[in-house]
Amino acid sequence: MKLHVSVNGVGKVLEVNPHATLLDVLREDLLLTGTKRGCDEGECGACTVLVDGEGVDSCIVAAHSVNGCQIETVEGLESPGGELSRLQRAFVETGAVQCGFCTPGFLMTLTAFLRENSTPTADEIRYAMAGNICRCTGYAQIVDAVLRATTDASR
Amino acid sequence: MSTAISPRRKATFVDARGLAEAIATLREHGPRVTILAGGTDLMVQYIRGDVQPEILLHVRRLEELKGIVCGSRTEIGAVTTHWQIASRAEIRTSNPALAEASALVGSRQTQNVGTLAGNVVNASPASDLLPVLLISDATVTLLSATTTRELPVGDFVVGRRATMRRPDELVTKLWLEPVGARTGETYLKIGRRGAMEVAIVGLAARLSFDEDGAVTRARIAVCSAASKVFRALDAEQRLLGSTLDEEAIREAGELVRRTANPITDARATADYRARLLAPLIRRAVYACREQSARQTVVGTA
Repeated sequence: MKLHVSVNGVGKVLEVNPHATLLDVLREDLLLTGTKRGCDEGECGACTVLVDGEGVDSCIVAAHSVNGCQIETVEGLESPGGELSRLQRAFVETGAVQCGFCTPGFLMTLTAFLRENSTPTADEIRYAMAGNICRCTGYAQIVDAVLRATTDASR
Repeated sequence: MSTAISPRRKATFVDARGLAEAIATLREHGPRVTILAGGTDLMVQYIRGDVQPEILLHVRRLEELKGIVCGSRTEIGAVTTHWQIASRAEIRTSNPALAEASALVGSRQTQNVGTLAGNVVNASPASDLLPVLLISDATVTLLSATTTRELPVGDFVVGRRATMRRPDELVTKLWLEPVGARTGETYLKIGRRGAMEVAIVGLAARLSFDEDGAVTRARIAVCSAASKVFRALDAEQRLLGSTLDEEAIREAGELVRRTANPITDARATADYRARLLAPLIRRAVYACREQSARQTVVGTA
């Protein structure tokens, strides 16, 4: 069964099983392994990608349900020249990455969030990332990173 | 493709492009079809192998099933997402408890994908939305190739994950009564965290008051405290005519507790769930009174 999607701005046409998830397609067919398979049941947020700009848990999204949609993954955050996004840089600068497994999911959730709210408070950030779990428990540095990315200091 | 960890069997995927195609598919293949809206619950069951559909009928694209219309009744299309409901300013005025509950369903990722009708048809005993729909006297509209019918949500959901939907029917929309004058409503949810939780217990209440502060109409509904979400009719009756005096609240709490039949599971013990009900009633009725007073002030200003 044919699936038409745009992934990080590039159109793709793929032959995909009817029962595949979006995460299966990204990792196994497109080899975009930045998106992580964590709980595989929509609890941990490690597999978060954006579908038409909205964060979703790709492990529980049927691949064919996003036919024709624009998908954004962590691989698409850096500029074509390989420069990290402001949020990615802030993650590095504040030490918001420990083991790193949850990081791509947090980056995608927060990228979508910052497009809606470019000057969030710490509480708004915490609420926005409620669906992403970091088992190293480095949440404080992640909140710091978002605050840093949204203040002049990081520009 | 490697999907070794998933016992999913191959289903035929039908991506309905219009309501007519969806209804025709249901007429022809009804009993073999599992309807897929957002899939936040269905896909988890599918991946685990708990449900083994032959045909997955995807309906979330259908424009005919989208949208919110706020009027004398509130009309919400079946595949309207929790986030669309929670973020709609008119809903916060017309049906504030629905906005509150929609913002408490899972995480933002869940709310972006999960749909109102999906939550209702799924008929989870822990649904955050069913208690709110019950206090809103909501109805479900079901369409088939030959029939259209409208059922109260309380009659539609008959048990744990069981509804009155016939295999050839599709839920197209829900109607809710908006909050009226001198009326307040709220949804209170107990979980271990403030977000991304399945309710340990949830309680929705809608109370109307007369000029003297006596209760003229009462609706109370509870999730995660029985095999299905239920209305606490005895407690409603006890509150009617009262001015929310101490005795009425205490007895209403006791009556809810008697109506409930909670279980012990990974999230909480049955005893803990039962103990939450009386304090929740107390908080809920006070919140309704406060909101109804505020609403009257705004209304007369």
